[in-house]
Amino acid sequence: MGVFTSKQQATSVFTTLFGILLDDERFASTVRKENLSVQFFHSDPDLTVYVSADGVWIDETPSAPVISIKMSCDNADALWSGRLLMPIALATRKIRIKGSVAKVIEFVPLLQPAFDRYPSIAAQAGVGAGA
Amino acid sequence: MMHMAQLAAPSATDAPTLTTLPAETLALRDTVRAWANERLAPHVRRLDEDDAAAFDWDLVREGHNLGLTRLVVPKQFGGLGQGEFGVAVALEELAAIDAGFALIFGATMLGQAPVLLSGDPRLQARFLPLFCGDEPVLACNAITEDQAGCDLLIPENAQFAQGVMRARREGDHYVLDGSKKFITNGKVATYATVFANMEGHPGATGLTCFVVMLDRPGVTLGDVADKMSYRSCLGTEMHFDHVIVPEENVVGGEGGGVYINVQQMNMARAAVAAISTGVARGALEQAIEWAGKRVQGGMPLRKHQFTARKLAEMSAKVDAARMLYLRAAHLADNEIPAPAYEPAVAKLFADRIAIEVATEAMGLMGARGYLRDHGMEKRLRDALGARIYEGTPEVLALAVTEAIYDDDDDF
Repeated sequence: MGVFTSKQQATSVFTTLFGILLDDERFASTVRKENLSVQFFHSDPDLTVYVSADGVWIDETPSAPVISIKMSCDNADALWSGRLLMPIALATRKIRIKGSVAKVIEFVPLLQPAFDRYPSIAAQAGVGAGA
Repeated sequence: MMHMAQLAAPSATDAPTLTTLPAETLALRDTVRAWANERLAPHVRRLDEDDAAAFDWDLVREGHNLGLTRLVVPKQFGGLGQGEFGVAVALEELAAIDAGFALIFGATMLGQAPVLLSGDPRLQARFLPLFCGDEPVLACNAITEDQAGCDLLIPENAQFAQGVMRARREGDHYVLDGSKKFITNGKVATYATVFANMEGHPGATGLTCFVVMLDRPGVTLGDVADKMSYRSCLGTEMHFDHVIVPEENVVGGEGGGVYINVQQMNMARAAVAAISTGVARGALEQAIEWAGKRVQGGMPLRKHQFTARKLAEMSAKVDAARMLYLRAAHLADNEIPAPAYEPAVAKLFADRIAIEVATEAMGLMGARGYLRDHGMEKRLRDALGARIYEGTPEVLALAVTEAIYDDDDDF
């Protein structure tokens, strides 16, 4: 079993996480200004998370995302927890990204608030308790 | 089992061509082409014949003013925000005149790449604006060592690497000891991305990338290599004797160096393929000019069927090389991690045809092709150079076959 015990748990964690990001002024204003949208394709449990300036969608694709990111939920947990470094994750193909690299380079630093907040969100949701 | 998706994707119709370049890239190409023809070309012979340690900062400054030192730096830091596609197109233009000058800027981008790839906003904010001031600033990437070449490039070889530069953590900083060899721009760069192996890890299995300002105490530079060609850019030994580097200068974490290096290579190979394509194009254009005006048997050489056949084959090779590097650059701009197959194939092909085209062009010019006065022999020397750096044909063949047999999914 992975660190997420159910799809419901993963959905709750990622919805909260990206909701917090959208409350971050820098993230929200840049995403809106650059018309950025990103869709995470997670596995184990399988779910997609679509984020744009207009909100967060689970298993829905309101329009074609500018950036697509594929990773397992376990790797997502390791990434947001800081145990898996982005350059290593990319080079080992634990995370794969499609879309303009220039946009990705612009986008990734905006995610900092998610790294800061994820451990407490995950702990509160009991992530890893069943692993 | 061979993975068919690797062979099928992407189709030729997906690949951009020079006729579909974005307007911004076309403008960049035309600007660099005009500068290379008008300003760089008159100095090529001097740059080639100068002492090995000579370096033309005035011409580099002109290139800097065009944006060549900050092509890939994001616009928010004052750069041009170009991707691999724009870089490759610009480097072809420079290499059609002088491959060494293309490499000065290419090596700087290689030194910038780990900082860009890190996704670390603090590293980016500290180092990328350096390249966007009034004066030119160059960077270098220090990986190759005396005993360790391919062993630092091929992850499976890392355990066998011998005598690799060492890094040791001491409190809030690291201490680096060791030497690097053949480092392009080492003598003229402001910082280097340096790869060293963490103490306690065998071979290069703990390879870690550091950003090192080259004015740090303990950094010394050796003699400039006296090269066969590419003489306008300088390759140097670099020595690190108890060099202290703050922990915030680590890129990608301890042990992340092998992977960063692989990423860099996959991105850089499209650019080097563009340099080889530029060398081949330069030779082709010179041969076309010669065959159009040289009269033998009562008609220009180009009217002789045998010469026409040669020119046509050379032209086809240059076009094919360009299409391959554009495909690789396009994918490198739209996939992270950068693909391994397309850049390796592009470089493998471009390096080979550059030698073939320059050799044929020299033959067409006869004795004149062999004389320094006409510059063709330099093009042949340039063509031979690119076959060595950023992956020999043997290393590229391993990358290509690894990708062919890879059973990754199609995301």
